[in-house]
Amino acid sequence: MNTFLRGGVSFFDDQKSQTSHKPIERFVPKEVTIPLSQHLGEPARPIVARKQKVMRGDCIGEAVSGGVTTGGTPIHASVTGTVKRVALQPHPLLVESLAVVIETDPNAAETVWEEVPGWMDLPKGKMLEQIASAGIVGLGGAQFPTYRKLKLPEGVKVDTLILNGAECEPYLTSDHRLLLEMSLEVLQGAKLIAKILGVSKILIGIEENKKDAADVLRIAITKQHTSPSPKVVLCQTRYPQGSEKQLIEALTGRVVPPGKLPMHVGVMVQNVATAVACYQAIRYRRPLLDRILTVSGKGILEPKNVSVPIGTLVSDIVTFCGGIHQRTNKVIVGGPMMGRALGRLDIPVIKGTGGLLFLRAEEVRKEIYGPCISCGRCLEACPLGLEPNQISIYTEAGRSLDTESFGTKECFECGSCAYVCPAVRPLVQFIQIAKKSFQTGSQFGLARPEQNL
Amino acid sequence: MTEASPQFLLSPGPHLRSGLTTKQIMWWVNVSLAPIFLWAISIYGVRVVWVLVSGVLGALFAEGFVNKCRHQKQTLGDGSAVLTGILLVGTLSPGIPIWMPFTGSFVAIVFAKMLFGGLGYNIFNPALIGRAFLMATFPLAMTTTWLKARPGLFFPPDAVTQATPLNILKMEGLTSAVKTLGLGSKFYGELFLGLRAGSIGEVSVLLILLGAGLLLWKGIIKLPIPLSILAGLGLIAIFSKVPLFHLLTGGVWFGAFFMATDYVTAPMSPKAQIIFGLCVGLITGVIRLWGGYPEGICYAILIMNAVTPALNRWFRPSRPKWEGTPS
Ligand code: SF4
Ligand code: SF4
Repeated sequence: MNTFLRGGVSFFDDQKSQTSHKPIERFVPKEVTIPLSQHLGEPARPIVARKQKVMRGDCIGEAVSGGVTTGGTPIHASVTGTVKRVALQPHPLLVESLAVVIETDPNAAETVWEEVPGWMDLPKGKMLEQIASAGIVGLGGAQFPTYRKLKLPEGVKVDTLILNGAECEPYLTSDHRLLLEMSLEVLQGAKLIAKILGVSKILIGIEENKKDAADVLRIAITKQHTSPSPKVVLCQTRYPQGSEKQLIEALTGRVVPPGKLPMHVGVMVQNVATAVACYQAIRYRRPLLDRILTVSGKGILEPKNVSVPIGTLVSDIVTFCGGIHQRTNKVIVGGPMMGRALGRLDIPVIKGTGGLLFLRAEEVRKEIYGPCISCGRCLEACPLGLEPNQISIYTEAGRSLDTESFGTKECFECGSCAYVCPAVRPLVQFIQIAKKSFQTGSQFGLARPEQNL
Repeated sequence: MTEASPQFLLSPGPHLRSGLTTKQIMWWVNVSLAPIFLWAISIYGVRVVWVLVSGVLGALFAEGFVNKCRHQKQTLGDGSAVLTGILLVGTLSPGIPIWMPFTGSFVAIVFAKMLFGGLGYNIFNPALIGRAFLMATFPLAMTTTWLKARPGLFFPPDAVTQATPLNILKMEGLTSAVKTLGLGSKFYGELFLGLRAGSIGEVSVLLILLGAGLLLWKGIIKLPIPLSILAGLGLIAIFSKVPLFHLLTGGVWFGAFFMATDYVTAPMSPKAQIIFGLCVGLITGVIRLWGGYPEGICYAILIMNAVTPALNRWFRPSRPKWEGTPS
């Protein structure tokens, strides 16, 4: 069974059964808060004002600054309604950012998307342009503008397109549902992206715990009879298989060297949801407006997979999902391994939000940590062969600048090491501190923690 | 939200964790040692209980004392001090004066653990340092207080001392040992089951394997270290004409499964662990056959503990080279 070459962790219970059987439900809130910053880099510039009427799909934020494009992506109104204000609002990743608040018009008609004539045979540049103006970013969580990722630099050639349907984080099932319910769109998207890249080999990587999705896709592929015909590859269920480099290892055996990108080994990875977004952008010029996400955990009364307009507040989703349990102890945006804890619920869903988890105390890792006991478990778990134990010990001692040889820079913060550490050491945070100290050039240390494990 | 907004935990990811915590690991090791000690009580008498209590109290007292002096948070609950006490007692003879285990544990914890910075920072296995200390200071009490195994006699009327098989072999030579001990299958069977004189923890290979089995099943220890120790000793024991005798006597099994597998003082990578184990086994054999002591595992492990930091440095995980920043 395909999987990546080293490290990684398997979950005793991936908790996906809470939502994997639940079809995606549509929910439109009374009001959306659309942040103008939804990817790395400069935020979009707002082009609407208070009281202005907007239609679902209208551009409300341009990716230009001083007349030149910023390399970012435009932002669109995800509902039809009236702009209430353009103001600083809470943001899931940036604490705060400028956002457009739109009040939904409940009587607005469904938006009709007209097909672009000859969409299947548009020239490559045109397709890229439509992807860019649709505001598509990587929906696997990276949120890098897709048109930039698809534009290969001179001289670089890729031969394989990989669609990432691994969804290796526990709890999350939105990609799983997407594969089941929108398999045709996924395949169309794959074909279009392959066309843009000029590749003939398409692999779709799916973990074993989603066999049904793989079957559905395979049937859809045989029905389509088109070339290039994508190949569905089942992988062993193992975290972090959904990380680009690990998935490439699992499907092609190629190893992306540290400091290089997948394209340097001839591969391009796109998330399955991104593929659907690209398909909709190319066929209908439809911008990226909705987000499919999993709402799960023992702290939410009705776990669901929902499709919501971007900008929907977490608190509205909570109401839609029956409210939260009183023993809910932690709210996470994203998956439980790499996601972030939220302190408040008036935070909007953005393009890259794949899940909302409401965990009770018993589901959560406790954060009182002790000294490293040199058990070596973190070394075994790291998929890159780094030494998180050493990075943490050096950083604890105030020598964060001396950790480079342990691989600080290469760490992509998957959290596998911290997941297995019996001393519950916050290894990822130590690594983040060390990375920060490389940027600033000054040693960082941390006071010795209380040892009351 | 209309209702009062609840307080949510803001700790960083990953938000899940797996497996046992340090504390749970330590207590599982303690639990896995229970059958061995119960057996020792049944064959050597209730006296063993007092030896054990003395050793554990010494360890707890020492750790509590040092923490107090250094104004540190108490760490007694993590089970590691208790473990050191129990392990030390496992290496002692059942007839030892009651105050000795206390002293040994105290020295072990203060000098081999706390002065290095506490759990995780020590270089040498504290329990073995404790034993080495007692061996150096009270050699007579350490080497003459072995008791004869009398199963079921929890309250023996009198203590009957008896030399250990290894002592007989060392002091009186092979021919005499054959005469006294028989060296037949009955003898080896008794060695395996634990019907003989010996240190408290080492007597029953069977029960050691039982405890080790529990730890293996729980994923707490792994096989490379113990197996390579046995292999290393076996290699040397071939020169002794009675290899099986060497493999089944002394604290080899106890040391291999419970002492040498200590995370803190053993190397981390599997390759380094095999080298570590082989060396421990070889050194044990050399001490036994050509050195001055009948037993050797204690010093062998201590010597290799000293090499562990170097082994960890030589056998780091390999990974592809950094090839410049992404374009
Ligand atoms: S967080 Fe970094 S160091 Fe830890 S396992 Fe993942 S890549 Fe390795
Ligand atoms: S898993 Fe934790 S305790 Fe074990 S070596 Fe790594 S940092 Fe140390």
